[in-house]
Amino acid sequence: MTIPRIGIIGIGQSAFKARRQDSNYPELVREAVTLALNDCKMELDEIEAVVYSLAPDALLGITNAERLGVDAVGARNKRFMRINTGGSTGISAMAAGHSHIAAGACDVALVAGADKVGECGDSQTIMNKIWDPIYERPLPLGTINMLAMSAVRYMHKYGMTEEDMARIVVKNRLHASKNPNAHLRTPTTIEEVMASRMISWPIKLFDSCPQSSGGCAMVLASEKYIKDRGLDAVWITGVGHCAESYYIGDRMGNGYIADHADAQALAEACQRSYRMAGITDPTKEIDVAEMYSPFSNTEFHAIEAAGLAKLGESPRMLREGHFQLGGPTPVNPSGGVLCTNAIAVTAMVRVAEVALQVWGRAGEHQVKGARRGIASGNGGDHQFFGTMVVEA
Amino acid sequence: MELLTRTEKWNITYRHALGETASWFYTQIRDKQQIYGRRDSKSGRVLVPPRAFSDETLEPTNEWVPVGPEGTIECFTIVYEAFNNLPDPPYAFGYVLLKGADTAIGGYFKGVDLKDGATAAKQLAIGTKVITKFAENRVGDVSDFWFEIQA
Amino acid sequence: MAHNRQVGVIGEALFAPKSIQQTSLEEALYAVTHAALRDAGLTIEDIDGIVVAGNDQMDGRAITIMMASGSVGGVTRDILSTPSGSEHAFVLGALRVRSGIYKTQLVVSWSGMETDNLSEVQRLSNDPYYHRSLPLDDLSSHALQANVLENEVPQLREAAIELARQLRINGFKAYPEHSAAPLEKVWIEGGKMLRYPITEGMVTPPSFAAVAMVLADQEWIQTHAGKKVAWVHGMGWATETAYLGDRNLSQLTSLEAAAGQAYKEAGLTQAQFDVAELADATPYQALVALEGLGLCGRKDWVTSVAKAQYGLNGQTSVNPSGGAMSFNPVFCSGLMRIAEAANQVRGTAGSHQKLNVEKTVGHGASGFAMQYNTVIVFGREPLESLK
Repeated sequence: MTIPRIGIIGIGQSAFKARRQDSNYPELVREAVTLALNDCKMELDEIEAVVYSLAPDALLGITNAERLGVDAVGARNKRFMRINTGGSTGISAMAAGHSHIAAGACDVALVAGADKVGECGDSQTIMNKIWDPIYERPLPLGTINMLAMSAVRYMHKYGMTEEDMARIVVKNRLHASKNPNAHLRTPTTIEEVMASRMISWPIKLFDSCPQSSGGCAMVLASEKYIKDRGLDAVWITGVGHCAESYYIGDRMGNGYIADHADAQALAEACQRSYRMAGITDPTKEIDVAEMYSPFSNTEFHAIEAAGLAKLGESPRMLREGHFQLGGPTPVNPSGGVLCTNAIAVTAMVRVAEVALQVWGRAGEHQVKGARRGIASGNGGDHQFFGTMVVEA
Repeated sequence: MELLTRTEKWNITYRHALGETASWFYTQIRDKQQIYGRRDSKSGRVLVPPRAFSDETLEPTNEWVPVGPEGTIECFTIVYEAFNNLPDPPYAFGYVLLKGADTAIGGYFKGVDLKDGATAAKQLAIGTKVITKFAENRVGDVSDFWFEIQA
Repeated sequence: MAHNRQVGVIGEALFAPKSIQQTSLEEALYAVTHAALRDAGLTIEDIDGIVVAGNDQMDGRAITIMMASGSVGGVTRDILSTPSGSEHAFVLGALRVRSGIYKTQLVVSWSGMETDNLSEVQRLSNDPYYHRSLPLDDLSSHALQANVLENEVPQLREAAIELARQLRINGFKAYPEHSAAPLEKVWIEGGKMLRYPITEGMVTPPSFAAVAMVLADQEWIQTHAGKKVAWVHGMGWATETAYLGDRNLSQLTSLEAAAGQAYKEAGLTQAQFDVAELADATPYQALVALEGLGLCGRKDWVTSVAKAQYGLNGQTSVNPSGGAMSFNPVFCSGLMRIAEAANQVRGTAGSHQKLNVEKTVGHGASGFAMQYNTVIVFGREPLESLK
């Protein structure tokens, strides 16, 4: 029993900014959809199903905001559903779109969404509300300090330093300076990162992702549809999701399945994608990786989870130039989530960027000769992980 | 072109049922200044905070186990930035493995000079021994206790 | 556009406690998960993936799948969430099994009741650009739809009242432990007006419930004997546009589209079902659903209801469970309709089981004035053409 490979035939993403005063939310979705349809010279009429990518509604200030997006994605009287797995929503939406076509329910599907995080005055207040109201809501938990704690454990386990973290920022900002869609595009230095204000030890301002606004959309199609029309496409050959316990405190102590320092469920999700794609040695078979990492420190355990480095080895390999553009396996050549984070679509942008890379369309941030890549998304409190292998 | 905005504030109240397990846990803190964990019947792990079932094995938990008051720091962070509706910085919090527990519980770390992050981080280093302190007036909530470094 | 492999429902459970104070939401989902697995004769180790559906604002958790995941076996597994509707969780679960990547799926949805103001939460789904200041919650939207329908169909109110009376009796027989009591016509008609033209007797206040279903592919079912199966013959789902002012509220083109998709897959040229479990937050919804599903056009609404032809002895029994009109866990009532339709085929519907059921249809609607519509056709045997 083989899983059919599903093609990506069109990609659209906004030039992400902090605020988009010129556009309300449905208009922002429409912008991304138009870009994706133009990319494959397709009309909305030809889309048979829509998977809508939208993470916490509270950030937009509208419950079930996807209902307002129906016209933006041309879904009247069509198949339509929304996916939400927190930060991994965009890649989970892509996985759901993949299932639509692999199941034979339709031949062409649109996956789309947008976010306006920069307009929400209080995003960490909302992020505090993702924690359970039984035990953890009274604690000042937020996504920043939750991952700062991961940094603390990773430092303790593997000896990572704050300079190592800064080095990730330097790499990604340089990459972003070559990516016209990225939000933060100014190159920086280790000194500048180290001097930026401390938010939650050891994470500083420059170690953190921005709050971005913008949209992303992709058109997926079955192999038959693509071959019948002689369309250009790249292929999703691996899909995998895995989740950890919600309880951060269970990822430490005695007898844990996953350590909060690492990303064990992400590693498992990557393995599931690799198995489906027939990849046995990612260090040799993966040319490019877009690994979801909203803070500098988390890129290390993401790289290791992707099998591109042994546990604890990636800081050294980064110092040796392994993961930058021009190196053996560039990670986040787009600049990654660290430079652009429109939460509802960030994980979809990871797939879009890998797709552009293996398609040879990544412009100035192109990884030469890239033919196969891995994309990932993280959601919840480092709880949900989605991965996808895309190849030429 | 004049661009306008509308402002909306969300104000919704929730009454979350704690269930029997969490309720008993909090009454013990409120009345006896004692923290308890629950043992996962399949893996044997003592889960703190306690739950009626383990999400790892999907089996019910079956035994109350008193834990603490001593513990060790499993991870921490120190927050220097102000966020709406969260405490004034700086403050330190993280997760502590209490004696007898297999999972760590979240709480504030008090009594540490937080002015310099690097120094404070050394004081709160993973593995540091702490003691649980209880508030004089307890209501049956996570805010009834915190952790201080054991001298 | 044929589906690749068959998927069957092999397990189901409903958890509707008397008091929501007794268990935390996490514990309720744990209970319904275990009950559904028991019904299917499986353990969580047999589950390849999970799809959940909950509403963040109803639950008071900004990403409610985080809360649900542990309870439904999400740890180490592949779990997704469709907050757009509980029916969509079923659809995605079935698609995942059909894709061949998963052999089984667990689908779980619930309707949180911990907020002190459900109407306020629902009003937050209005766009903040033009409609947020209006008192537009689910009930208001149903009322607007009813108002438009009454204006178009003569004597409709009479039929709506009578249908409400019939469905409430069904509910009380099927689930006396949590259904609203039956009411005579005079009490439904003269009852307190909630939102014109909807009176108290035409709806039931929201309740808490959690519902879970287990799906498996044909090969898996055939190698694990003794399962009570409802085979999915066809699936369709579609949406209206959001702004009520952009819609013709007396028509549901999205339901026609969804039914069309489902019936085409099922090879049905006519809507012929032993049981139809359809969306009925109000009796007007049920009537619109009857039409959209091809069971009764509007010119026959009044006569068909007067003839009381939708009971268990009728050709097509409608909502023998009593529907949302008797028991209303708002967010997951769509999945409950689908579960009820499946149970009738599986022979597990309990006291409201119809005899000799071969084919049923389940219909769920979510959003203001039935914005989303999902139609599932179930059959006793795997679809003939693919056997």
